[in-house]
Amino acid sequence: MAAPASVAEVRNRRLALVVALIAPIALVNAFGFLVPVLNLARMSFYEVEPTGAMREAFSLATWAKVVADSFYAELIFNSVTVSLGITLLTLVCSYPIALYLHRSSGTWKTILLVLVISPLLTSAVVRTYGWIAILSENGLVNNALAALGLERMRLMFNETGVVIGLTEILMPYMILALLAGFGRLDRQIEEAASTLGAPPLTVFRRIILPLTLPGIALGCLLCFVLAVSSFITPKLLGGGRVFLLATEIYDQAIVTLNWPLAATLSILVLVIFGAALVLYTRALRAIM
Amino acid sequence: MAYSGLFQERYTKAVVEPFMKANPGIKVEYFPMPNSAQMLGNLRAQKAAPQADVVIMDVSVSKAATDEKLLNKIDDKVSKNVADLYPNARIPDVDGVAVTFDNLVMLYNTDAVKEAPKSWMDLAKPEFKGKVAIPGMPDIQGLSLVLIMDRARGGTDYLKSVDKGIAALGEIAPNVQTWEPKPEVYVTIISGQATVGAGWNARAQVNTDTSNGKLQAVLPTEGSAFQINTINYVANGPGKDAGARFIDYALSPEAQKAFTESMFYAPTNAKAQISDAAIARTAVKSMDKVIPIDWIALAKVREPIMEQWRRKVIPLSR
Repeated sequence: MAAPASVAEVRNRRLALVVALIAPIALVNAFGFLVPVLNLARMSFYEVEPTGAMREAFSLATWAKVVADSFYAELIFNSVTVSLGITLLTLVCSYPIALYLHRSSGTWKTILLVLVISPLLTSAVVRTYGWIAILSENGLVNNALAALGLERMRLMFNETGVVIGLTEILMPYMILALLAGFGRLDRQIEEAASTLGAPPLTVFRRIILPLTLPGIALGCLLCFVLAVSSFITPKLLGGGRVFLLATEIYDQAIVTLNWPLAATLSILVLVIFGAALVLYTRALRAIM
Repeated sequence: MAYSGLFQERYTKAVVEPFMKANPGIKVEYFPMPNSAQMLGNLRAQKAAPQADVVIMDVSVSKAATDEKLLNKIDDKVSKNVADLYPNARIPDVDGVAVTFDNLVMLYNTDAVKEAPKSWMDLAKPEFKGKVAIPGMPDIQGLSLVLIMDRARGGTDYLKSVDKGIAALGEIAPNVQTWEPKPEVYVTIISGQATVGAGWNARAQVNTDTSNGKLQAVLPTEGSAFQINTINYVANGPGKDAGARFIDYALSPEAQKAFTESMFYAPTNAKAQISDAAIARTAVKSMDKVIPIDWIALAKVREPIMEQWRRKVIPLSR
């Protein structure tokens, strides 16, 4: 009969198992994420000649340009504020739907869930083209306005179009994140509050909202990150007027061939994501 | 490696297939790419082991590739046809040579615009409010328009200042519906979403035919600018001599004639005998209207022009 394993041995074996389980994903992450990001960081210090030719050197020129040129400060500010606005709007539009979904049950709930998820099965490009059909000058909305004798409005090829399009495209993510965070919400607590005389608005403000804050934080983080990095929708609905980080990175990498500048801006996007993650963790700690 | 879409379709028929017929031992595989910069990206990535032998791309990108030592020089040793090219098809300090010339034209939808516009400044007319589609900077179509207007307004040296051109575009800007026509400016105008705009002649001519004349292209009074596509011989490509054979064929009078008659790019080989009907649809007969642009020198001032564009043109269109 084998001798019983000592406590230390068991602990070692457990540790080995944990390492073995984590190792594959750690490796994939190192090669698929860390190495490219480090490469990107290195590229941001390369030099670019006026003709677009790139030289592998160490130069702070690109970083200095990004810091000194007010256009990039505006670009970052604009990207962050527009994305925050879109996140807020998405939250406002998605919250009632998520709450209703959370409360419904059975087949009805399944049908609704499928309806919420179904837009994700269509690519953002197709959905954006759908919005072009709705928002363009001869689109659904403007034709309806004209039929009512009202003046046509410019709803796309500007910031309005980008905000409308992205809000709709991000709603499924927000709804799913909200639902995931609604675990603590219990119908009985709301009923208890009502029987104690709380009007519906108070029940919402003092019971429902605080209990759903984790879901709200998660949904907002997700939507903000997706909004900052979204590219197709601003490109198609922005009409070349809306400058955002993602579209600028595309222009620099693909049109003007300034890879170091594109790399620098990409690193800045990562910094913004890091900041959003820190804020999220803090918010979560304060809520829980 | 060359452009995707219409270019691929027509180039394959007019040049690649006849070449393969004449050289049964060589099989040409066409790697389509949407734009020159992505081709350069591929060349950079494959520097150690190139996958392509021949690349057709914009001259300014070709210059960058030359400086990064990604290309072989194309000279008389690669192709005897180089000697017959127009002088402006051989670009100093660029390893490739021009294979097509194209020029900027004004486009309009014949259903919406009854009288053909004549001047670029017609784009600023009140009846075109919200109806103008121009591929804006950093696309070189927007840049070309700045240079054309700068010269028309009396600018003398675009390497020093394009203030007059920027001011002219500022007058057009309030009418602009989109600086980013998608998927292409031609489709945008044919569909009636926009009714006037700017685009490249070759693609415009083909779209005129395929839209039964709904799209029309005009060479405005202020003139136009050339865009040059170069053919380039990739350094250390996998096919070795086959690349040179293809380049030689692509520059031959025969291939130049076939592609011009198929897609209306102006030929770069002076000996190409092109039908009058096809040549009339290129800028060859109106060379006096094409303003000279040194794309290589221009690259150095492209960034400051871009900054003026962002600060002085785009805000006026909001």
